[in-house]
Amino acid sequence: MNVKKVLSRKPLKFLSLLLTSMFIASASAAVYYSITLQPAVTISEASIKFVSGNDWPNGSTLGTNGTFVILALKAYPNATLTYDDPLNISNTDASNPHQFRLRHVSITPATGNQQVSNFTFINFVVKNKAGASQASFNYTTSTDTWNTPSSTSYLEVPASTMWIIYVETKAAAGATKDLVATIKISVDVLE
Amino acid sequence: MQSPLMPEFFALLGIDVFLAISLITCLLDRRFPKAIPYIYQVAALAGFAHLFISKEFMTLFGDYMRFWYCLIYLVIALGNVIAVNVYLAFQKGMWRLARGFLGVITFPVVLVSVFFVLDYANSVTSSVFLFPRLPLDTIFLVLLVCAVFLGIGVFASLRQKTKKMREEEVR
Repeated sequence: MNVKKVLSRKPLKFLSLLLTSMFIASASAAVYYSITLQPAVTISEASIKFVSGNDWPNGSTLGTNGTFVILALKAYPNATLTYDDPLNISNTDASNPHQFRLRHVSITPATGNQQVSNFTFINFVVKNKAGASQASFNYTTSTDTWNTPSSTSYLEVPASTMWIIYVETKAAAGATKDLVATIKISVDVLE
Repeated sequence: MQSPLMPEFFALLGIDVFLAISLITCLLDRRFPKAIPYIYQVAALAGFAHLFISKEFMTLFGDYMRFWYCLIYLVIALGNVIAVNVYLAFQKGMWRLARGFLGVITFPVVLVSVFFVLDYANSVTSSVFLFPRLPLDTIFLVLLVCAVFLGIGVFASLRQKTKKMREEEVR
């Protein structure tokens, strides 16, 4: 049979065109789909950020954009040390309120370490502008065990408002000097 | 509100239109020059290349430019559909086939394309595109109009056919 004749047959011609059409259509759809999946990420100011307070502890570090903070807190043996206004949480959004919560991430020395018993509690209290307590985030100890707090409920900070993080610390009577407890707390913000 | 469509959607629509007329002209090969289905395939392939380039240089071309070059491609595709319709009607004198083609292909394709263009134009600043506003919910209305038009087309062509058959029977 003549190959040229076979190829010129209508069904075969149609089939070849159909196959190339399907290929072009699916490839185009894939390219379009990949375009729609290209996300555009714009760097913007955090709606909730940290601002140093009037009682900012020496040796603490505030990140450039207020998105992280390292607080260097002290604790006295058998005495409660209070930081009235070490750190503020600010809602930079001028028109919308935003919600945030405190969530425990990690703490060292870890539970089981004998050094843990040197601490009595480290309590972070979220206070509103008027000074009313909104949530407490308290780390306590039972001998060598840390009792880590569960996440706070989401707290709503009104637009253009600054709230206070009040801190209380206490070390055990006869605690060893210069021991350091490092706590990582995450601030989850609902945008 | 931002449109869920990207400007490249019109290029995609244009590619599909070219592929559809390529297959249709292949089915109606006796009425068209042999090269026509392949030319439309090449045009669709060119559209694919155009889409690919658009993807690579998306940041370089703004939304406005992307919209216009994709729209131009779609308009060319629609122009070819209309040209095929006109060719069948005037060049070949196949009025019945041309009428069927108008009801089944040309009219729905043009209407759906216009609908998507207007919907996209709705979502963009009105000062940039001078198109009338049309909400996406009207898709049902567009489909209904297409169905009605298709029904009228089928009814008209069938009535003419039965009329001819009766005339032949009388003879």
